[in-house]
Amino acid sequence: MTSTLSAPSTEAPESSPDRANWHGANVWTQIVVLTGRSLRAVVKDPRIVVFSLLQPLIMLTLFSQVFGKALMSSIQTGSYINYLMPAILVTTGIGASLQSGVGLITDMKNGVLGRFRALPIRMGSVLLARSLADLFRTAVQLVILLCAAAVLFGFSPKGGLLGTFSAWLLALMVSWSLTWVFLAIASWVRKEEVMQSVGFLAMFPLMFASSAFVPLDALPNWLSVVARVNPLTYAVDASRDLSLALPVGTGVLSAVGASAVLLLVGAFFAIKGFRRPL
Amino acid sequence: MARPPIEVENVTKDFGKFKALDDVSLRVPEGNVLGLLGHNGAGKTTLVNILSTLSPPTGGTARIAGYDVVRQSRQVCARIGLTGQFAAVDEQLSGLDNLVLIARLLGAGKRAAKQRAEELLTLFELTEAAKRPARTYSGGMRRRLDLAASLVGHPDVIFLDEPTTGLDPTSRMGLWQIVENLVDDGTTVLLTTQYLDEADRLADSITVLSSGKVVASGTAEELKAEVGQRTATATLADPAEAPRALEALGRAGLSPVHDEQRHAVTAPVNASHELAVVVRALDEAGIEVSGLGLGEPTLDDVYLNLAHHASESAA
Ligand SMILES: Nc1ncnc2c1ncn2[C@@H]1O[C@H](COP(=O)(O)OP(=O)(O)O)[C@@H](O)[C@H]1O
Ligand SMILES: [Mg+2]
Repeated sequence: MTSTLSAPSTEAPESSPDRANWHGANVWTQIVVLTGRSLRAVVKDPRIVVFSLLQPLIMLTLFSQVFGKALMSSIQTGSYINYLMPAILVTTGIGASLQSGVGLITDMKNGVLGRFRALPIRMGSVLLARSLADLFRTAVQLVILLCAAAVLFGFSPKGGLLGTFSAWLLALMVSWSLTWVFLAIASWVRKEEVMQSVGFLAMFPLMFASSAFVPLDALPNWLSVVARVNPLTYAVDASRDLSLALPVGTGVLSAVGASAVLLLVGAFFAIKGFRRPL
Repeated sequence: MARPPIEVENVTKDFGKFKALDDVSLRVPEGNVLGLLGHNGAGKTTLVNILSTLSPPTGGTARIAGYDVVRQSRQVCARIGLTGQFAAVDEQLSGLDNLVLIARLLGAGKRAAKQRAEELLTLFELTEAAKRPARTYSGGMRRRLDLAASLVGHPDVIFLDEPTTGLDPTSRMGLWQIVENLVDDGTTVLLTTQYLDEADRLADSITVLSSGKVVASGTAEELKAEVGQRTATATLADPAEAPRALEALGRAGLSPVHDEQRHAVTAPVNASHELAVVVRALDEAGIEVSGLGLGEPTLDDVYLNLAHHASESAA
């Protein structure tokens, strides 16, 4: 490849007979094409999937080995892995939605979003495509995690395949709605480091001051009070209800409701923020 | 043919208290190239961003092909191509995929998109690298891919923001050639640059921007006639001698300007033998010179000259 350029001719009228119609694809095509673009990046660079699986795998190993024995007594649901795994599904899903926000900021830096802005397409399509691609990636990750848990740690919940499938759906729903919250934060903050710290600061207390790893009764008093108002507790409990075939009560319903609200609010602010000039 | 493809009327842009653009007006007729000339920070990118709908003006109106950039941004987007100052390509995707993506977003079918992408890759001599991720491209290749991406939709109007800044001379000339071919096809181009020679080579008319204001506009010939074809620059051994040097050159019939930054005096000269006039005049006045050069006019000369005229008319 030389850097020399001969004089290329730009005349090519006959080759694009439909150029008059190239004034912007319809919204459906925009979303499909843009989602495909984001997914392609994942397929081309599967390291992203592998690396983001490492953290939950390590947690799964550590927690099941460290707490497993100690907590057996206070858990009525059989082995600790069966207790832990529904929580890991939810927290991994939330971690993935944080990564969505970070990814959006990376894209903004990349410059390619600048080009999208000068195209006759909707900015909502760009965001929706990003969230869908990440949702798909998360779905695959959670399936891999579930298989690993079943094969390596003997995860076999009472809810069976159907219960596990519903818990998987619930985790994806929570992840997708929080993706919009993090996309909203990302499109206002626009700095990767800030985004990472916001996520870190929000995630860790939420994760540990909840029923994710330890039953509420086993937490110190003040922490169990915090955990009782922590929305993550409810998401995790709902996931457990489904996979462990516990009586499914208002937990699942309120998780669905809360997700819908987060989704709408997040989407509103994400699109508003994203439209602001770079 | 109703309206010119690019119309800018009294556009201002404020960033807080800072005025990045101050009452800028210009028009570019169909098929013409406007060179927007200005130093770093003059407001070139700000204007390009407004015209390509990326940011709204604080005041004034701008229209592309008759469509308002604020109220009819979608129609504007459908008719423009933008090659920003920094290459806007997807690093992860191959050159081919980048172009196919843009074509699909513009509404091309799968086959038409691929065909258009391949056509452009051939045109920009990127066929060999078509399947490689764009992050492996050299600076020049990236620029070409970026330019190709902005041409996918056969835009009527193209914005090129400093298209050759940071390119090696060969790639630079290659890019000039591409722009010239575009213009032959009737595309209207607004090109920003810091280099007078680039504007001179490509532009039908030039607008000089300084601190957000239009300070001069006209054809390259008109500007150069004002600036002088070439300039002689004498660097002074003792900067304090500047007033005497200016006086000596003035007596010799030249119109010298003091270039304080370079400790030099500069004077437009018409032919190289006038260089001798400079040497003689300074020698006779006993002024020691540490360097002497003959240069093609640059943007600096335009600015110096404008400043010169301003001070003359004030006096
Ligand atoms: N988003 C912004 N916020 C504040 N100031 C800005 C912003 N964008 C540009 N500027 C300022 O406006 C001036 C013009 O910038 P720009 O249009 O990028 O100049 P050019 O492209 O001619 O080098 C500069 O002084 C720059 O610092
Ligand atoms: Mg600029």
